[in-house]
Amino acid sequence: MTNNKANTTEAGLQKPKRKGLDLERFALIGVWIVLIIFFGILLPDTFLTSANISNMLGSQAVLLILALGLLIPMRAGVYDLSVASTMNFSAVIVAIGNVQWGLSIWVAVLVAVFAASLVGVVNGFIVVKFGIDPFIVTLGIGTVVVGLTYWISNARTTVGVDRSLSDFVLAKPFLAIPVDVYYALALCFVVWYIFQYTAFGQRLLFVGQNPEVARLNGVPVGRTRWTSLIASAFVAGIAGAVFVGTTGSADPTAGQAFLLPAFAAVFLGSTVLSIGRFNAWGTVIAVYFLATGITGLQLLGLQQFVQQLFYGGALVIAVVLSKIVRSRSERQAGAG
Amino acid sequence: MIDPHTADSNSGGVFDTPTAGAFTPGALLSIRGVSKHFGGSVALKDVDLDIMPGEIHGLLGANGSGKSTIIKILAGFHEPDAGDFWIHGQQVNTPFGAGGLRHKGVGFVHQDLGQVPNASVLEHMVLDAQTENRGLTRINWRLERDRVQGLLDRYELDISLDAPIDALYPVQRALVAIVRAISSQEEYVQAGNAGATLLILDEPTVFLPKHEVDQLFVMMRRLKDQGSSVLFVSHDIDEVLTITDRVSVLRDGKNAGSRVTNDSTREQIVEMILGGRFEHISRTFTATDESAQLVLSTSGLKGHRAVDVSFDVRKGEVVGLTGLAGSGFEEITDLIYGSRKLEGGSILVYGADVRKPAPDSMMNRGVVLIPADRKGQGGALSLTVLENMALPSLSTQSKGWRIKWRQLRQRMASVCRELRVVPDNVDALFGNLSGGNQQKALMGKWLDQEPQLMLLNEPTQGVDIGARMDIFRLIRSAVDEKGMGVVCATSDYEQLVEIADRVLILSQGRIRGEIVGQEITKDALAAAIYAEEAA
Repeated sequence: MTNNKANTTEAGLQKPKRKGLDLERFALIGVWIVLIIFFGILLPDTFLTSANISNMLGSQAVLLILALGLLIPMRAGVYDLSVASTMNFSAVIVAIGNVQWGLSIWVAVLVAVFAASLVGVVNGFIVVKFGIDPFIVTLGIGTVVVGLTYWISNARTTVGVDRSLSDFVLAKPFLAIPVDVYYALALCFVVWYIFQYTAFGQRLLFVGQNPEVARLNGVPVGRTRWTSLIASAFVAGIAGAVFVGTTGSADPTAGQAFLLPAFAAVFLGSTVLSIGRFNAWGTVIAVYFLATGITGLQLLGLQQFVQQLFYGGALVIAVVLSKIVRSRSERQAGAG
Repeated sequence: MIDPHTADSNSGGVFDTPTAGAFTPGALLSIRGVSKHFGGSVALKDVDLDIMPGEIHGLLGANGSGKSTIIKILAGFHEPDAGDFWIHGQQVNTPFGAGGLRHKGVGFVHQDLGQVPNASVLEHMVLDAQTENRGLTRINWRLERDRVQGLLDRYELDISLDAPIDALYPVQRALVAIVRAISSQEEYVQAGNAGATLLILDEPTVFLPKHEVDQLFVMMRRLKDQGSSVLFVSHDIDEVLTITDRVSVLRDGKNAGSRVTNDSTREQIVEMILGGRFEHISRTFTATDESAQLVLSTSGLKGHRAVDVSFDVRKGEVVGLTGLAGSGFEEITDLIYGSRKLEGGSILVYGADVRKPAPDSMMNRGVVLIPADRKGQGGALSLTVLENMALPSLSTQSKGWRIKWRQLRQRMASVCRELRVVPDNVDALFGNLSGGNQQKALMGKWLDQEPQLMLLNEPTQGVDIGARMDIFRLIRSAVDEKGMGVVCATSDYEQLVEIADRVLILSQGRIRGEIVGQEITKDALAAAIYAEEAA
């Protein structure tokens, strides 16, 4: 018993050392602000104009929605590589449904989101029932979905989609910011709430951190993973509809370009706010941090290639950072 | 038959403890004053060991006595804090580097054998030979095939070169691992190094069926006849008495002595293993109420090692399960909880038949499990204490649209305070807690659910004395006050003496003995376990 008492007093002195981590939590935000000031000084006439800011925010709404959907399976440790092709699939169905099949635009959107969700159902079925690594399953199914997309669209861009979708997505910017940005932020709030305050969110987290612990605590691990894949496909379906709204058309090849930026945003987002965890507001910050960098550099006259350099580099740096943070916290755990 | 080498150096029955500070002339391997600490705990303290050429040397000791630490030091996994090593009469400086003493002709066969299930025998053998060749050197398969076949023939092993490892019997896998180690040693000898080789077998018999162990012994005798030495690490006294020439015992990380096997009785060796500590921990026993309701009733449980295990647990009863490693006692709790596949048998919880046990349905029936692998299965290390403690209530009853974190935080904080979990901060990362505090937090989270039956698997492994007492106190009060039933599977006899009302002893997958109430003492348990093994 004396032993135990000694332990207690010793631990009383041992205050949790979180000071260092607290600053790190906001490091990316700090770099973002520096970046804005930097471009603001270099490009006083173009960068900090309301037109540019509005454009920067609006152009990222689709990517942000897609990344928020991807966040859900990632939280459960499930890589979903099919999100971008699912989004494109949905976009093409909206356009074809409306233009060729003569569906009302809202019915077309419903059909598209439903079809997209089916992709998640199939992904989850294969992952859970056969116990196969989601990485490879979603890579394969994602490619199948690209094939389907080309098939139904004859690999051609569909134009002439009902204006009311564009009106809904783009019309009447509020405070000079396009409306779709607000939709994306609303979704972010929903995802944040699910992660933070619902039992489902907590289960996702445990399945991602340690599936064995989750299972022994009664969490249906397979079902949770499956649900997360359906959720990401559903959100990708919505992203597809918004995508059509912003362009008024559907290009069957446009979606693939979103995959890497979405992953870059999700990983970079896990280095902000709550470090080492995929989180919603961190993803928002990451998306706009990346957009700021790319827009600024392009305004400075750099070419299109900047985009790839920036997204690819950010993904790798984010993964390295989160690895460093994790191994450091493991070291602390080992010492404690 | 006593080996001539051993007989020369020891005319008396008890082998003298090696002279401190200097190596024993003629010894193949001499170890002096080896110490090793892990964090604050001592794993080895001033250990000496001599292995003579051409002897089979047994290394015995209870769990945590330091057997595996010493092997891991020789294999290069751990670096000793202090100590001197001589091999073939030459001093070797520490650290040994990644390969340990392998480059000095010492071969290792670890308990898990280090094999890949679907690679063939030949591929395993070639792997070692190829580590010397760098990069894209072409493997001459025909030559290798001849070499390996020759090796198998020499040891009269009838094993197909192309058989995948998982198609072999357990003992054949062990033999392949041994031949693999020997094959690297031969390269060492062929490289012009003189002297006998040493093969270290780290508990190779744990996972072997009894009738296959003899084949392993044949192999060991053959090596000895060639003039090689074998260090045979085991916890099975009878095997050690059968096969070894000399035996050394470790206790609490220190030398408990070395003896010539033929001049030793099993009682003398048991005493060396357990030491003079047969003291009883005072405890009052309340006779189990035979009329109390049955919480759990199992019959014919069958799993990976368990063959046929049937027992009952009544309300307010603590049933201990123990046995040697590999006897099946360690998987019973997992079989009941459904975290390991149940191959057969039936489980009744409060009289209701559980058809397919699974963690979530068991939790709903009021059954909880504290797993043995705390870091891998107990809690998520990178999440907070609060999150870990809140999980069971979130996974079973996902009520409403909002987790009431504030209420949960208050409740868990008070649970932690009651259990004296340090640090007193539910937002600390679970992984930053010490083993004892992690276990207390897990215990608290489950006790908060007021379970009917708690399944414990090695509940105080890696837990300090203070926390250990807290944990026993918690279990006891839940049992006495709330009538909780407990199944506690452990290889720690002291723990059973402290908390069990009844102990079942398993051997080869079946219950082979029972000790009740006051009869549960450390020596009674040790005697029962080893007696069962001998039978």
